[in-house]
Amino acid sequence: MTTDARIDGYARGLFEVAKGEGTLDEVEDELFRFARLYEANDSLRNTLTDDQIPPPRRQGIVEDLLSGKATPTTVQLVSMVVGSGRSRDLPQIIDRMVELAARSKDVTVAEVRSAVELTADQRDRLRAALANATGKSVNLKVVVDPFVLGGLVATVGDTVIDGTVRTRLDELKSRL
Amino acid sequence: MMLASFLAAERIDQTPSAIWPEGYELVFGSIATVLIFALLWWKAGPIVKRGMAARTARIQGELDSAAGALESAEAESARIRQALGDIAAERSRILAEADAQAEALLVDGRARLEVEIADMHAKADADIAAVMSRGSDEMRADIARLSSAAADRVVERTIDAETQQRLVEDFISRVGAGVTT
Repeated sequence: MTTDARIDGYARGLFEVAKGEGTLDEVEDELFRFARLYEANDSLRNTLTDDQIPPPRRQGIVEDLLSGKATPTTVQLVSMVVGSGRSRDLPQIIDRMVELAARSKDVTVAEVRSAVELTADQRDRLRAALANATGKSVNLKVVVDPFVLGGLVATVGDTVIDGTVRTRLDELKSRL
Repeated sequence: MMLASFLAAERIDQTPSAIWPEGYELVFGSIATVLIFALLWWKAGPIVKRGMAARTARIQGELDSAAGALESAEAESARIRQALGDIAAERSRILAEADAQAEALLVDGRARLEVEIADMHAKADADIAAVMSRGSDEMRADIARLSSAAADRVVERTIDAETQQRLVEDFISRVGAGVTT
């Protein structure tokens, strides 16, 4: 089985479990956040992909980390992926699962990176604005990323709308 | 003394003169002398004549040989003079050729030297320009690096919560208005 097929298989499994539990929206949002945390945190990534640490121990780390901060379904799903030795593919599995969830709701995932947390009102207006700009219903996923310094960058499919200070600063540096 | 004794021992009356012999001695002596001279003329004359002729021929031969040697020497002398003349001409030709070659070499060397000097000038100019450009580039890069670092710090310090909210609202407004770039 190829890696893509395996990722698809795991993503579909997560999607079906979350859908069956009736917590798809919540679970996919929590998984998405966990995937971004996993990508941003070298220590967490190295720990969960360390073959010297037994899988049960790695599962215990995940459960300790997410316990009380995410739904039991989310914790179990992440623990299952880690326990099966697929920690390295975790972000891709989750992203594929989020895509499946969005497709099931006939919406498109819009990943937004912001230097600060957005209010509910800002999320709603941003969702509406992105839907208006792209002509598609969007499932908004906001990632707080201090690296952007200020402003937002939204990725909807292949379209990137960049209004970050980081990008302007980079352009300024290029001109310099 | 002995001669006087001998003459004294002779009978002085046998010879009329102390100087002249007897007349018959003169006759016979003269005849004998003539005979001897005739015999000599008859027998030794041809030999002497042949010897003289041979000597003359030998001398003539030597003269001829000397003349030939002289002629040969003169020819050799002429040849040597000719050769000397040729050598002088060849020397002049070689010297002229050497002068021409030296002149050509000088001209060629001077031209090559001028080209090399021009090349060195051009290379030196290029090196100076490159060094100046590199220095300028390095200075520009340093300025850009320092400016970038300064810009990062300035931006991080100046973006407060209010500015963050304004940036978010601007982005939402811009996207809402259909501006996606």
